[in-house]
Amino acid sequence: MKKILYLLPLILAACGSPAPAPEPPPVMETRMVNVYSHRHYDVDKQLFAQFTEKTGIQVNVIQAGDDEIMARLEQEGQKSPCDVFITADAGRLGLAKTRGLLQASKSELLNDNIPPALRDPEGFWFGLTMRARVIAYNKEKVKPEQITTYADLTAAKWKGKVLVRSSENVYNQSLLAAMIAHDGPEAAEAWAKGIVANMAREPKGGDTDQLLAIGEGIGDVAIANSYYIGKLMAAEEPEKQKAKSLIGVVFPAMGAHGTHVNVSGGGVAKYAPNPAEAIALLEFLSGDEAQKLFAEGNKEYPVKAGIAPAAELAVFGTFTPDSLNLEALARFNAEAVKRFDAAGWR
Amino acid sequence: MVRSKALFALVSVLAVLLAAPLLVVITAPLHAPAPEWHHVLTALLPSHLWETAQLLAGVIVVALLLAVPSAWLVATHEFPLRRFFRWALVLPLAMPTYISAFAYAALLGPTGTLSAWLNDTVGIHPDIVSLPGLCMVLAFVLFPYIHLPARAAFAQGMTSQLEAGRLLGASPLRRFRALAVPLARPAIVGGALLVAMETLNDFGAVKYYGIRTLTTGIFRAWGGLYDLGSALRLSALLVGLVALLLWIENRSRKGRSQATDQVPVARLRLTGAKAGLATLWCLFIVLLGVGLPLGKIIGDVSSLGADAWPDGTFSAFGNTLGIAALAAGCTLVAAVLFAFRERYAKRWRILQSLADLGYAIPGAVIAIGVMAFAGLIDRNAGFSFALIGSIGLLTYAFVVRFLAVGTQPLYGNLRQQSIALDASARMLGASPWRAFTRINLPLLRPALAAAALLVAIDVIKELPLTLILRPFNMHTLSTKAYELASIEQLREASAPALLIAVCGLVPVFLLERMVGRRG
Repeated sequence: MKKILYLLPLILAACGSPAPAPEPPPVMETRMVNVYSHRHYDVDKQLFAQFTEKTGIQVNVIQAGDDEIMARLEQEGQKSPCDVFITADAGRLGLAKTRGLLQASKSELLNDNIPPALRDPEGFWFGLTMRARVIAYNKEKVKPEQITTYADLTAAKWKGKVLVRSSENVYNQSLLAAMIAHDGPEAAEAWAKGIVANMAREPKGGDTDQLLAIGEGIGDVAIANSYYIGKLMAAEEPEKQKAKSLIGVVFPAMGAHGTHVNVSGGGVAKYAPNPAEAIALLEFLSGDEAQKLFAEGNKEYPVKAGIAPAAELAVFGTFTPDSLNLEALARFNAEAVKRFDAAGWR
Repeated sequence: MVRSKALFALVSVLAVLLAAPLLVVITAPLHAPAPEWHHVLTALLPSHLWETAQLLAGVIVVALLLAVPSAWLVATHEFPLRRFFRWALVLPLAMPTYISAFAYAALLGPTGTLSAWLNDTVGIHPDIVSLPGLCMVLAFVLFPYIHLPARAAFAQGMTSQLEAGRLLGASPLRRFRALAVPLARPAIVGGALLVAMETLNDFGAVKYYGIRTLTTGIFRAWGGLYDLGSALRLSALLVGLVALLLWIENRSRKGRSQATDQVPVARLRLTGAKAGLATLWCLFIVLLGVGLPLGKIIGDVSSLGADAWPDGTFSAFGNTLGIAALAAGCTLVAAVLFAFRERYAKRWRILQSLADLGYAIPGAVIAIGVMAFAGLIDRNAGFSFALIGSIGLLTYAFVVRFLAVGTQPLYGNLRQQSIALDASARMLGASPWRAFTRINLPLLRPALAAAALLVAIDVIKELPLTLILRPFNMHTLSTKAYELASIEQLREASAPALLIAVCGLVPVFLLERMVGRRG
């Protein structure tokens, strides 16, 4: 019994002691910025390294799911070390704003680099890259003129031909949220029902799996995220070549509006200990150098005017993004999920 | 006696401390608003519950079929390659379910390479990315949770009964059906319970296969409906479901005889076709459990060559081993104290059971509870440091999550120890703690090692808790693998996945040597 009593303070101490940080403890002069990010791409790592090289500001990162990050920010409160919250969904950025996890930032540079529809009007968050929800089709079986809008996919002739992943996925949720914002929930639900009626199979797998399924002839058209298409077009694996050679892309309109886009973006955390460094990082990520790397390295569409998309995506042509302010995505996300459930979209 | 009482009280405090994050989750329905609850209840819950039930039933049935006959063969028979199967049949434990599920989808999914080959050669087009397919995939990874305890029970727990059966002329099949399985039932049911809990809390594999379970429902409410309150209510429901399973297991044990011998059984030598069949059956299980998914991963690693090893893979390897050892050590200390309480304390036994429930809850939900608990302290205690984001809190979270993995083998072993042992020690004037450390604990030694290794394997594979609770810039192998898999770069995720399997192999190997010495 005594032995255990001796052990206890040790155990308690171990539970309470601060983490032995992998990096040596920062000296006062080292400037740093702490990032909580939902993105886990190689290009992000490269960009953070370039930022440190350029400014001397060290970047510390935790990557985790965005809902978990928001829960952590809420619990950390004023003591949170987080400076920048980065995620791959405008809906989550809007949610972080309404939950009071972000603060407004003023930066001429950010406002110049990023078009107004892709950032929060009050400066709580800023879109850094863009992905379009597009329709991929089998070039041997489908003429691109046959599909010009998302609504076209609900026509009877696509019965058993449409491939799309589960409504669990946030890009499907924000697509439907945008429809709700434009045309109302009833129209959006009717569209979802039309897609369910035309599905080639029960939704399963990720976006890439839908594209590969076109290669296998399981369906003829697939709703997918542009950057997965860019990645597929750059892929070298033998099992992906068939789909790669068969796939064409259309940028569908949403009724009278452009193609649905979502952004990856970031905002300065409410209790950021290093707000100046946080803004410097966001500014760097919206600059020419970073925007080029986002485009080339990760096949995302740059938000800054004048930067070209990756060659793998440029071949499919240009598109007009929906001008809906992305703030709306957060507002209608829950409604979108309910409409998916009502439509029976797994 | 005073000391023992103080110790009981201390363990009770520890139990409350470990149950605190769960209490946050369980009591959420009482205070957290859940604006979308009506929708969750009517539109979401029925389908998610129904598919959970199907998945659970399917996985358990298949896992039993894989685990019990193979355990019987290896424990009580001699046949070619038996020594190899002794450890090979435990190997699937080293594979995280999501990695095995991704590998199987890439091989036998709708666009899988093996599917295409089968289509070209024999004209069948399998699709493992389905509910029956997922039952198979999960069962082939999880069956060792049943196989191991069943084998230990067959190998030495029931020697005299089996011998009596043989002398009375019962056929081997009859001895298996009428004696061995009923006597090993507590071990088998205990293992099946772990399989059920693992199936219930799985998220990665289930989501990718498009199956709707309670766990995906929790995330749909949280991330899709933006309603954490409803997500917590669903989590509480999940906890209730597991509590029910635990209660049923407890009931089924009462009044039943069980394996208690300590004499190794004499193995029967199989010959001819029977020996061939036994070898083939075990080979089939090993091939599908590890051979195929691991082969796919190794193929990916070799096709990538030097590019397969992204920066930081090796420091992640070191972090993984370190945190696994730390968490396993702490869990074991807690488990031993709980075992002591289980054996000697009369009151408030529910505390032990409560702390065990963490195993059934998805890691991300435990993380909510842990962060809520730690955040409360952080915001109010005025420490200069924060608990959230510390290695200490991450370790604590692992103990909360995996305590059951540590305690179950100990409780199982304690049940086999005759109560007369403690009674004699106590009559001779030993305090409960002295009796426990001098009599029960030494007998527990093999179970202790098994518990530590099982926890270590689970920590190595764990993902959601590690993701959100880790300190800045810290990677483990599973966070590395997830980083790549979550952006659909499955081939690039192969190297960390392979290292996870290798990391898991070491404890699996040690584990087998201990159980193997008896089986």
